[in-house]
Amino acid sequence: MDEDILTTLKILIIGESGVGKSSLLLRFTDDNFDPEQTLTIGVDFKTKKLSVDGNNVKLAIWDTAGQERFRTLTPSYYRDAQGAILVFDVSSYSTFAKLETWLNELDTYSTKNNIVKMIVGNKIDVDNREVTREQAMAFARRHQTLYIEASAKTKHGVQSAFEELVHKIIQTPGLWESYNSDNIHVNGNKNHADQSGCASYCSLT
Amino acid sequence: MDELPSEVDLLIIGTGFIESIISAAASRIGKSVLHLDPNDYYGNQWGSFNLQALLDYNPDPSEPCDFRNKSFSLKNFHYEWLMEDQKEDLLKNSRKFNIDLTPKLHYCRGDFVQLLITSNIARYSEFRSVTRILTWLNGQLELVPCSRSDVFASQKVSVVEKRVLMKLLTSLDDILDSENTHNFKKFLESRKLSDNLVTYVMAMAGATEHTSLGEGVKSVKRFLDSLGRFGKTPYLFSMYGSGEIAQAFCRLSAVFGGIYALNQQNLISLDSEDNRITSLTTTKQQIRAQNYVTSLEQCSEKFLRPVKINNYISRAILITNKSILPSEQEQLSFLIYPEGTERIINVFELGSLTGTCPKNYYLVHLTSKQVTTPQEDFKGALGNLFSGSDQPQIIFSCYFSIPETSDLDFENVPENLFLCPGPDNDLDYNSSIQKAREIFEKMYPDLEFLPRAPDPEEIIIGD
Repeated sequence: MDEDILTTLKILIIGESGVGKSSLLLRFTDDNFDPEQTLTIGVDFKTKKLSVDGNNVKLAIWDTAGQERFRTLTPSYYRDAQGAILVFDVSSYSTFAKLETWLNELDTYSTKNNIVKMIVGNKIDVDNREVTREQAMAFARRHQTLYIEASAKTKHGVQSAFEELVHKIIQTPGLWESYNSDNIHVNGNKNHADQSGCASYCSLT
Repeated sequence: MDELPSEVDLLIIGTGFIESIISAAASRIGKSVLHLDPNDYYGNQWGSFNLQALLDYNPDPSEPCDFRNKSFSLKNFHYEWLMEDQKEDLLKNSRKFNIDLTPKLHYCRGDFVQLLITSNIARYSEFRSVTRILTWLNGQLELVPCSRSDVFASQKVSVVEKRVLMKLLTSLDDILDSENTHNFKKFLESRKLSDNLVTYVMAMAGATEHTSLGEGVKSVKRFLDSLGRFGKTPYLFSMYGSGEIAQAFCRLSAVFGGIYALNQQNLISLDSEDNRITSLTTTKQQIRAQNYVTSLEQCSEKFLRPVKINNYISRAILITNKSILPSEQEQLSFLIYPEGTERIINVFELGSLTGTCPKNYYLVHLTSKQVTTPQEDFKGALGNLFSGSDQPQIIFSCYFSIPETSDLDFENVPENLFLCPGPDNDLDYNSSIQKAREIFEKMYPDLEFLPRAPDPEEIIIGD
């Protein structure tokens, strides 16, 4: 890991199919937008370094890989995430109404009880808006989450959504400091046996 | 909610270990995969449960259907609170438990770890190494020395014995040709090893008095080959339980376009014609595929004849209040407990660092070939390990039997239907990976089985 990186954070993006989760992700990490994009094949999570309040952090942002369609995200998808972005489409009321279910899902599966949640109203560039800013903000306040409006298409709000989320995570005590470096990630290159005194946790990457 | 696709290359029913690997492998080479499970959780008999979900587990739902084949479900499922006063506290912490129906270990240089690395699935999983290996000798727990330095540091092994042992271990390859005896234990005894050493080497091999020389030597070699890679022993355990593994393969399948739907209660039948499956009928639609893969437990009886299950695996799950061999740091113990002359009980003792149980408790898994019933099969071992005043107390226990289906053959199975057996009694996943690979190769000969998946950084979007 780079020495100037304070920590690596796991961020989830959830919400109904078609609200633009992958588009937001790719706009943020690759500054790219494809209006034709339907399903993202091969994208699992994307990483990006971000500097917030003078701290350099590395984000690992996990896409749903389509597993939200039939509510089949695995418990391991949620595991150890410090932040979650709940996306809805401001031009589709039903995607807003489903946020409640997604918040429940987060409560059920997230392993950190102080996980930081942010609601993002996406597609504010479209004309036929069905959810007002006030409605969404009231909902966010009621559920004590952050709220931001964005457009993956025009870039509006995308960068600040991630920055604000990270800012809040860094400020939350006990949320990100306690990574257990004792675990093992297996991978082809490194030999962990030397550290056997403490290396009882490993990952194979 | 969306409708399921009506035509795919491969339709899979069941999210057990073998089905999940096949799903990932097929998606990975561009096949369209629809992966369904009548259960509302991942993993089937390979799954992990929190404590409440384990209590709610019902292997025999009253309504039989075409996708719930009772012959292959768990048997004798039974649980009991031995210390009622702890129940409330444990249930409050229910979600801190990840309790495996089928716990497995991984050899550090075994096929499973190799597959994780070559396929790049490793990124989804974290592991802890087993920190010590124990065996039961002369009425007490003994630490099995695992490395050259362990052997030389051991007070229980004399200098002469150390030499004999090292010589033996370094010349395993030549042994098979030159020996007269075919029994592993007799062979070890013939080498003038003390009882202690014989027991240690037997534990390394997971051998009983009936293990053949060939098998024993192969197992010891496997043990030694996996030493010195991660941690102090040859074994790894999956963080948060073995059920994570099937999920990791499902995730990979989804990343490459596999469509997932759990809790599918509306499946009606697999329809066949001329010894081929033609479609899956649900209450809403018909789904056609070129090939079909199902777990045995989720396959209709009409395709599974004859059903003759000869063997079962005995399982016990305990929650205890301290370690069987307390030490300063939390240990992840693998106890190889010889029961009688024919049977080994594999015992995993997991602490909170494995992410499978809350702090101040231990989760203990016992697995063995079934002789009578799980309760009877483990009675002796539990009596020895959990009855004394200074020994740990059992707060909760759960018993069940898993049908051993890995060696079953069925007649007249439709040619495009591939059946995945349930868990076997092996310590690791090797045979199950082999089975998944075989099925994949039958469906897609000449195509690569789980080639390396690209890292996120390697995918360039927009070109």
